[in-house]
Amino acid sequence: MAEIICPLCGKPNPPELDECQYCQAPLKSGGFLPSAPEDIEAEGTSPLSEVEDKAGAEPSTPKPAAYPEESIPDWLKATEAGFTQPSEEEPEATPPEDLTEQIDSIINPPDSTPTSQEGAVDDDWLDSLLADAGAGEPEALSNEEEPAEKSEVEPEPSAEEIEQEVSPKEEQTASQELFDKPDWLANLEASSTIKLEGGMFGAEPGQEEIAPKEVPEEESPEPIDQPDWLNKVLPEEQPESAEEPEEGLAAAELPTWLEALRPPEATSPTGPVEDISSAEVVTAGPLSGLRGVISAQPSAIRPQKPPTYSIKLRVTDEQQARMQMMEELLADEGKPKPLPAQHVITSQNILRLIIAIVLLLPMVWMIIGKRQQTSMPQPGNVPGVVDFTQSIQNLPPGAVVLVAFDYEAGFAGEMNLAVTNVISQLMNKNAYLTLVSTISSGPAMAESVIKATYTELGGAQEGYVDYANLGYIPGGTMGLLGLVNSPKSILPYSLDGSNVWAGAPLNSITSIEGFSAVVVMTNDPDTARIWIEQAGPKLLGAGTPLLIVTSAQAEPLIRPYFKSSPAQVQGLIAGLTGGIAYARTFGNTQVNGEWDAFSAGITISVLILLIGSIAGVLVKMLPDNRKKES
Amino acid sequence: MLEQLAQLADPIGAVIGFLLTVMVLSYIIGDNFLFRLAVHIFIGVASGYAAVLILYNVLWYQVLVPVLQILSGDKFTDLTSYVISVVPAVILGFWMFTKASPRTARWGTPVLAFLAGVGAATVVVGAIRGTIFPQVGASVNILNIQSSPPELNKLVGWFINGLIILVGTVTTLIYFNFGIKRQEEGVPVQRSVFMGYLSTVGQGFIVITLGVLFTGVYIATLTSLIDRIRFLWDVILRFI
Repeated sequence: MAEIICPLCGKPNPPELDECQYCQAPLKSGGFLPSAPEDIEAEGTSPLSEVEDKAGAEPSTPKPAAYPEESIPDWLKATEAGFTQPSEEEPEATPPEDLTEQIDSIINPPDSTPTSQEGAVDDDWLDSLLADAGAGEPEALSNEEEPAEKSEVEPEPSAEEIEQEVSPKEEQTASQELFDKPDWLANLEASSTIKLEGGMFGAEPGQEEIAPKEVPEEESPEPIDQPDWLNKVLPEEQPESAEEPEEGLAAAELPTWLEALRPPEATSPTGPVEDISSAEVVTAGPLSGLRGVISAQPSAIRPQKPPTYSIKLRVTDEQQARMQMMEELLADEGKPKPLPAQHVITSQNILRLIIAIVLLLPMVWMIIGKRQQTSMPQPGNVPGVVDFTQSIQNLPPGAVVLVAFDYEAGFAGEMNLAVTNVISQLMNKNAYLTLVSTISSGPAMAESVIKATYTELGGAQEGYVDYANLGYIPGGTMGLLGLVNSPKSILPYSLDGSNVWAGAPLNSITSIEGFSAVVVMTNDPDTARIWIEQAGPKLLGAGTPLLIVTSAQAEPLIRPYFKSSPAQVQGLIAGLTGGIAYARTFGNTQVNGEWDAFSAGITISVLILLIGSIAGVLVKMLPDNRKKES
Repeated sequence: MLEQLAQLADPIGAVIGFLLTVMVLSYIIGDNFLFRLAVHIFIGVASGYAAVLILYNVLWYQVLVPVLQILSGDKFTDLTSYVISVVPAVILGFWMFTKASPRTARWGTPVLAFLAGVGAATVVVGAIRGTIFPQVGASVNILNIQSSPPELNKLVGWFINGLIILVGTVTTLIYFNFGIKRQEEGVPVQRSVFMGYLSTVGQGFIVITLGVLFTGVYIATLTSLIDRIRFLWDVILRFI
């Protein structure tokens, strides 16, 4: 039994099926039984297929139409033939036993295009087609009947003949005839033309397979040979018809056995293909005319005249306004602005006055009355004082002592008590004092203290002579290091211009270890630290004591050097407390009210701090302030 | 005449000191002209004195006097030491004058580089030898049993004192340790809880230290105030 060819996928199906087993397309309405060759030959050709054939190679022989349905126009028959022809030819053209012939036909396609043949027309198929295209237009269909019959009777001329023989009048008639068709019919005709040009009909299967791959677009039958009326009818469908059959044929009509025999070279490349259709065509150089290549003459290195730019600064109005604003701001910077008037009587000033009075009045009262009611500090209770005293006591008479006056005049009130006591003890030992200083006011302070102390001791009128004021050590830390290594080269002369290093006792001293003791008097913890760091290691190695008299503010930072083991500082006197304790070691207890004033001041200060803190907490706990904070 | 001036110098100085002290103490009622005048006087006097001292003590006696002595032929043997020590310093000193003009300022950069390099080296070496090594060694040996007092009552105090110093040192160093292990991306960087507690303890030690320093400054200032009050009263008593 003959198989039914699916009109959609073109594959054979058993006759008992109503739908295609491959694509589920209805076979009864669109499927076709393969007809005999004589039947095919008896069928007529459509005008469009004839034109296609003429454009291909040879004109086909015109044959009289033998349709039983006389009412169907020729163009519609041709449309039907376009659908039916390849389906009918396919099983006949490629029988499995004629494999060699088929391969030969693929490799060597026949020179002549086979005659277009029309397949058998199924009424159901036509009905469905008409229903799809627009069944409500029977009148339009009947109007087109007469010209279609004409083309059916008359033999079709070749393409050349059409070009030469068709008169302008006929062309106008034909085109007018086509343009008079309704839209739905024109669309239907156009769709059939697309399929016709795609090679589905009117060509052998083998030729259909190879043609899209081997024949370029330029070599394929072009509509050059087509008549003008056809070009007018199909202006936009030409490019689509060139691409569409390539995809449809490759997927639908290549049998499986032929696919297996296909050489691997013939398969389509799997790698990516670069699309150079939108690439730029090279217009100059040796690669001129090529597309998608890099030009040998890039535009960047082509000699060209440099563009000229205007050197005139373009300033907009907004920029001008900003410049003016900036100039005004800069001009205002130099102008003095009057300070806002401050009220003399403010709550802050009143509070400040109250605190000053509360603090000053008791201290003034203590000093005026020279009261001495609080117990004075004992030397044993102040760390460093006893060690300091022992170091002084251990000095031999006439020892050469280096004394550094490195405290500011503002701290004289705090330090002078300890300083004068130390200097007086050294004078009592007939020590030779070598005075130096790393601050500019130090030499003057040293002279003042020496004179005052010697006067208090009741010395001779000419003053103390066993000292040398070497003055100021320039260079800060580096100068101090130079003094440690070579004091003579750093300070060769004393302030009075005498060369003290030439005579006794300084002529035997070449470095800082030559001194019997080094006493540093400073209010600055950094200065004390520099002395400890630069001179301490050498003095420690030589066994020379390093003694420090300092302010209370520097004591916490210097005490670790005294408390370390081994001690880097052998004696420490700090502040008024240390000075009084040191003075008591010699029985020098001045009753001038300072210690009572100091004790009262400390006590009042602590009370002020406590009261202020409690008041601050209470004020913060007030409901109004809580609301403000929240 | 000079003796009379010398006898008057002391009372004149006392009066000037009295007036300047009162002018400075007038800051109690707020910033005023007298306080600013006294401050300006102190700054001017200190600057002038420093300039004179440097010219006299450094340039004259350390640079020019040796040259005069050499020229007089007294001490030709010191020429070598003078050339080695003083001449380079003089050359570098004059070289520094190039910094006076913006055009030639860059020529003085080598001198500044020399000063900065030598100064930094001096400070660093002194800090290492004089502070870091000795203080680290003292902290390590602070609980050394060999240095402990033999008496039992002092031993307890020694141990507690050493323990406080040890804990304070360690926790303060932990407070300044800001290194944290790298976390995953998106995870907030956070200290470990244990280190956070130790850091808080170290922060407490730092607060106590700053409080002690402030107390020392306040005590020094209060002592100076007492000294000034006593000075004023002495001057008043002297002229009364």
